[in-house]
Amino acid sequence: MRTRDLTGDSTQVVRVPTTERPRVNQKTKMKVRDLEVWYGEKQALHGVSMDVAENEVTALIGPSGCGKSTFLRCLNRMNDLIPDVRIKGEVEFENQNIYAPEVDVVELRSHIGMVFQKPNPFPKSIYDNIAYAPKILGQVRKRTDMEDLVEHSLKRAGLWEEVKDRLQMPGLSLSGGQQQRLCIARAIAVSPSVLLMDEPCSALDPVATATVEQLIDELKENYTIVIVTHNLQQAARVAGYTAFFHLGNIVEYSDTDSLFTHPREKKTEDYITGRYG
Amino acid sequence: MSQGITLSPSRQLKKRYRAEKRFKAYCIGALVLAMAFLVLFFTDMIRQGYSAFVQTEIEVEVTYNEDTVKFTNESVREEVSPLISRAFYRTIPRRVDANPELMGTTETRWLTATAHVDQYRKGYSDRLDPELKATLDRLDSEGRVSYGFNSGLFFSGDSKIPSNAGLWSAFVGSFYVMIVVLLVSFPIGVATAIYLEEFAPDNRFTQGIEININNLAAVPSILFGLLGLAIFINFFGVPRSSALAGGLTLSLMTLPVIIISTRAALKAVPQNIRQGAQAVGASRWQAIRDHVLPLSLPGILTGTIIGIAQAMGETAPLLLIGMIAYIPDAPTSMTEAATVLPAQIFTWSGMPEGAYVSLTAAGILVLLSLLITLNATAVILRNRFERRW
Amino acid sequence: METSQILLVFFGGLVPMAAVAFALGRRKALLSDAAGSRMHSLPAQYGVYVATWMALPALAIGIVAASAALLGLQVPSAPFVLSFALFGAAVGLMIALRKVEPTLRARNAIEKFVYWTLFAASLVSILTTFGIIISILFEALKFFSQVSVWDFVTGTNWSPVATFRPGQQAADSQFGSVPLFAGTFMITLVAMSVAIPVGLLSAIYMSEYASYRVRTLAKPMLEILAGIPTVVYGFFAAITVSPLVVEVANFFGLHASYTNALAPGLVMGIMIIPFISSLSDDVINSIPNSLREGAYALGATKSETIKQIILPAAFPGIMAAALLGVSRALGETMIVVMAAGLRPNLTWNPLEDMTTVTVRIVDALTGDQAFDSPETLAAFALGLVLFVVTLTLNLISIIVIRKFRQSYE
Repeated sequence: MRTRDLTGDSTQVVRVPTTERPRVNQKTKMKVRDLEVWYGEKQALHGVSMDVAENEVTALIGPSGCGKSTFLRCLNRMNDLIPDVRIKGEVEFENQNIYAPEVDVVELRSHIGMVFQKPNPFPKSIYDNIAYAPKILGQVRKRTDMEDLVEHSLKRAGLWEEVKDRLQMPGLSLSGGQQQRLCIARAIAVSPSVLLMDEPCSALDPVATATVEQLIDELKENYTIVIVTHNLQQAARVAGYTAFFHLGNIVEYSDTDSLFTHPREKKTEDYITGRYG
Repeated sequence: MSQGITLSPSRQLKKRYRAEKRFKAYCIGALVLAMAFLVLFFTDMIRQGYSAFVQTEIEVEVTYNEDTVKFTNESVREEVSPLISRAFYRTIPRRVDANPELMGTTETRWLTATAHVDQYRKGYSDRLDPELKATLDRLDSEGRVSYGFNSGLFFSGDSKIPSNAGLWSAFVGSFYVMIVVLLVSFPIGVATAIYLEEFAPDNRFTQGIEININNLAAVPSILFGLLGLAIFINFFGVPRSSALAGGLTLSLMTLPVIIISTRAALKAVPQNIRQGAQAVGASRWQAIRDHVLPLSLPGILTGTIIGIAQAMGETAPLLLIGMIAYIPDAPTSMTEAATVLPAQIFTWSGMPEGAYVSLTAAGILVLLSLLITLNATAVILRNRFERRW
Repeated sequence: METSQILLVFFGGLVPMAAVAFALGRRKALLSDAAGSRMHSLPAQYGVYVATWMALPALAIGIVAASAALLGLQVPSAPFVLSFALFGAAVGLMIALRKVEPTLRARNAIEKFVYWTLFAASLVSILTTFGIIISILFEALKFFSQVSVWDFVTGTNWSPVATFRPGQQAADSQFGSVPLFAGTFMITLVAMSVAIPVGLLSAIYMSEYASYRVRTLAKPMLEILAGIPTVVYGFFAAITVSPLVVEVANFFGLHASYTNALAPGLVMGIMIIPFISSLSDDVINSIPNSLREGAYALGATKSETIKQIILPAAFPGIMAAALLGVSRALGETMIVVMAAGLRPNLTWNPLEDMTTVTVRIVDALTGDQAFDSPETLAAFALGLVLFVVTLTLNLISIIVIRKFRQSYE
């Protein structure tokens, strides 16, 4: 397991305005500007702006109800499904505002995948769990291509060796950690460019968590990953950048090392030292 | 791989959206179809039945004397006499007995016309003697024919004379049957539910009782009729056709409805209410009696009303225990032969005269309004008093 | 004894006596409490204890006598039964009063009594099932002692000759039940081909597409459809739908009977729609939202999610709903009695008249025939088959639904 050195070299710390991306040596994948979200009368996000770096892991941390999951679900418009939700602001992806009227939400979601808190494999076989989306999206038509894709996706998710002999078994017969990796394999099978993860390890035991964390670390070579986590150590271990959310605002956003070693804000420091949350 | 991504729908996606639209259209279509059935059904019943709520009445002079008491149809002028319902002539001797001062007098009264006249006036049938038609038209032009509210539909019993047939005996019969159903199925149903939900250990036997109850809720109603016939009537000797036999049979059918809804109501009361009561020293039974039952009462009553409404519309088992008898006078006890509303509707629907078609439909409208009132009461009760936890 | 007399004895005799017993028990408890001994339970609980022990013997004697009278057994005259009950009450009262002492756990005793009462109530539903089985089985066995099971199951000719006197023989009767079951299955088939698609698609619309407002409007309307009594549906089928079917058939140059199988089938289908839709609605709603989100997050459209994720996941439950619907259709009586034919007819054409199992049961048992005539007994044999078939369908679907619920809890 790879761990980041929390007492890393302090000269690397670059102070930037809170909402901008901390470092400029990587391309920006998504740009969020002044994002406000209401659930009915209750405002969940108060004008959040943030840049997401390409091929990096960005962690969103903060106490329960701080808006980090809401923010994540805005990035692929999963929040559209909730009744009574109102969203203002812009989320730029591939030079387009994903909330613009001409953007198709189904198309968008095939480019920005998501992995959920609780593993949610479909009640189908392992094979069909992965083949389902490429089939309906019309990405793969030939049977042999599909078999290749299933194998490739399972290999990328580090599950192939464990399941290659029982691809026709129901996905639900796997253990929790395996199910979550199946869901990751399912998400990457449609080749999205961004993967959103909503506390992907909160329902897993420590061993399974370690496997998934390692997987995330490998996936960042090809994917831009945004991960919500409750677990500060996990953010420190896997993320290049970390944003601390509090009461629907980003309090601090910088590279993970500086956020954990030299927080600029008192609130951040209180949170990471365990004074509340 | 991020090169050239467009977020507007691709050709392939447009095709998928067309499939989406088709599927949604099927779903809407199905719901619209179901609603259309409902609308068609109600308009049809109202169209067939509304006219039976009024009846043709004719203003005539009625003469009371020695002769007309014997030959009652001579009490009105000869050419008008066949227009008037036979049911009136029957009442003359009784009326004169009760009011001797009428003897030798003539009074002007509005009398119910025969079903033939009524059907002709309402445009259902043209089979009226031409001479009678002429008389009727003459009376009509004199303003001596009109429609009056058919109070007999509600306040008289069954009759072989359609213009005189009403639902009164059926009302009384249904009332008796429902009393029996309530007295038998409510206490047993609630007690069963309390046992299963609050006391029963989770073992094979309990699961068996549960499955058995769910099965009873789905057993064809006619089989309950066979039970009623073989056990209540043939074995225990409960009088055939009686409200008691009908009520006992329907009780067994209503029991599962009450048990299932009472269990749901008990289950809805959170566990911490029971624990809270027991924590202050109440026994299990005291906690249920003083806290759980009062809280779940609205749900229990709602389920009971729905069960009663179901029993009130049930016919098939009652046919087998003889509750399709001809009952002109309302029963006065549980053990007399009786009929109920749906059975009366069934009897009327089998009558050959055309007038009974409207009567049947009118009876249906009355039954449906009763049932809808009952169910609406249940829904209001639930919405008003049920607590969400 | 008349109803009114029973009520008089109950309210004029038993209730006041129970009140007195309650007062006596309570007083004794209060007195001994005042005398300084610490009572286990509340005084009122001793009252209830004494009253219960007074009333129970009296009630038991009354009920035994009443059932014996109903069974036609020789029962002593009413005054004798009454005085015997009174004696039982007195004995019960004396024993109970004696037992009122500080160490008596009156509350526990009462609660034990409550427990056993509740338990006894729960046995009534079991007794009902046994009652159905026994009432059908004995008569059906009598029938099969006269007619061979093989002829009954495989015969294609159902033509009972009516007998009106007990013991009269009807040698020419034929009891081949195949045409009756064929008619039943034909009408069930028509009904299910209306009810399953319309019910299921409406359920999908209501649970997946409809706005809250549409749902709150459409649901009660479907419930109204479910609350219409079957006799009303029967009238609708006979008076409106059958002539309509005949007219439509004539329009296409086909001949249809006025008691065709199509009309009752269609109306039965309408009747079962709300049944299927509400059960499917429950099942679809119990599919966790995470599955929907999982599919949407992969770029699936709503209908793709429904067709390929939700429906396969809900399949066992929907199947169970359909089976319950079939069980309903098989046992439905009023619609077919009023709108289907009486003539046993083995045909594939739903425009012809056909009869069903339930029609023949009603026909056999509402006539004036002797109770032991083969035709009457045949009704019980048909009832037995109906019971066994519907029981099987019900059990399968009840167990499937239970399993399904558990898997998503």
